[in-house]
Amino acid sequence: MAEERVERHKGVDRLFHWLTAAAVLTLMTTGLLPALGVWKFDWVVIHWSVGIFLVLLVLFHTIRALFWQKLKCMFAMSPAEITGKKVTKYSVAQKLMHHAMTLMVLAAVITGCLMLMKMDTPLWKRDPYTLSQATWGVIYVIHGAAAVSAITLVFLHVYFAILPEKRMYLRAMIKGWMTREEEREHFGTPQ
Amino acid sequence: MDLFRVGHDVYGQRVLEGISWNLVPYAVGIAAVVIVAHLIWRLIRGPKKGAQRG
Repeated sequence: MAEERVERHKGVDRLFHWLTAAAVLTLMTTGLLPALGVWKFDWVVIHWSVGIFLVLLVLFHTIRALFWQKLKCMFAMSPAEITGKKVTKYSVAQKLMHHAMTLMVLAAVITGCLMLMKMDTPLWKRDPYTLSQATWGVIYVIHGAAAVSAITLVFLHVYFAILPEKRMYLRAMIKGWMTREEEREHFGTPQ
Repeated sequence: MDLFRVGHDVYGQRVLEGISWNLVPYAVGIAAVVIVAHLIWRLIRGPKKGAQRG
C-alpha cells in the first residue's frame, strides 16, 4: 500500500526558497570571493543584477506571507514551544533560523539598494553625493556584516538540513510533502 | 583583531570603508563550533522523543 502523503510546502513556496538560495549563494560568491582576493573577476554587474532579483523575491515573499499565509505560523512562539512541549508547523529552531536569515537578507538588501546610488546602470545614473562619507561607511559596514553573517547562517542551515533525522524537511522543501508517519514523528501525536 | 576597514579621503581624514574581511574566518569558525557542539550533544542525547502538536 502506498504511504499517505501530507503537503508541507506549496510549489510556489518551494520555488521561492530555492531561487532565494541560488540568489544568496551567487551574491555571497560574487561579493566575498573578489573581496577576499580568492577569485578576481568582473563581479559588479552580476552582483547588483542578482541583488535586484533578490529584492523582487523578498517583496514577493513579504506580500505572500502577509496576504496568503498565516504570519502566526512563523512568528508566534509560545512558552510551550520553547520548552519543547508543543510543536507547530515550524520548530523553534526553524523559526529562529528564518528570523536570522530575514534580518541578514533585509540588512543586505536595504543597504545594497542604497549602494546602487553609486552605480551607473541602464535604469539610472550614479549619484554618490546624496549621502555623506560617514553614512556610506555605516552602510558598507552593515552590508559587510550581513555578508559575513550569511556565511555562518548558510553553513548552519545546510548542516541542519542534511542531518538524517531532519531529511524529511529537506525532502518536503524539494518535493513538497512528508509522509503521515513522518508528520506523526515530527508532531509526536497522530493527526 | 580589526573589526573595520578604515581608509583616508583626499583630505587625509580617516573614513570608514566597511567591515574587516579578517572576520570571515571567525564566521566560518562560529559555524564549525556550533556544528561540532550539536554533533556531540546529538551523540549524548540519543534519539529524540516527539512532542505534542498545538
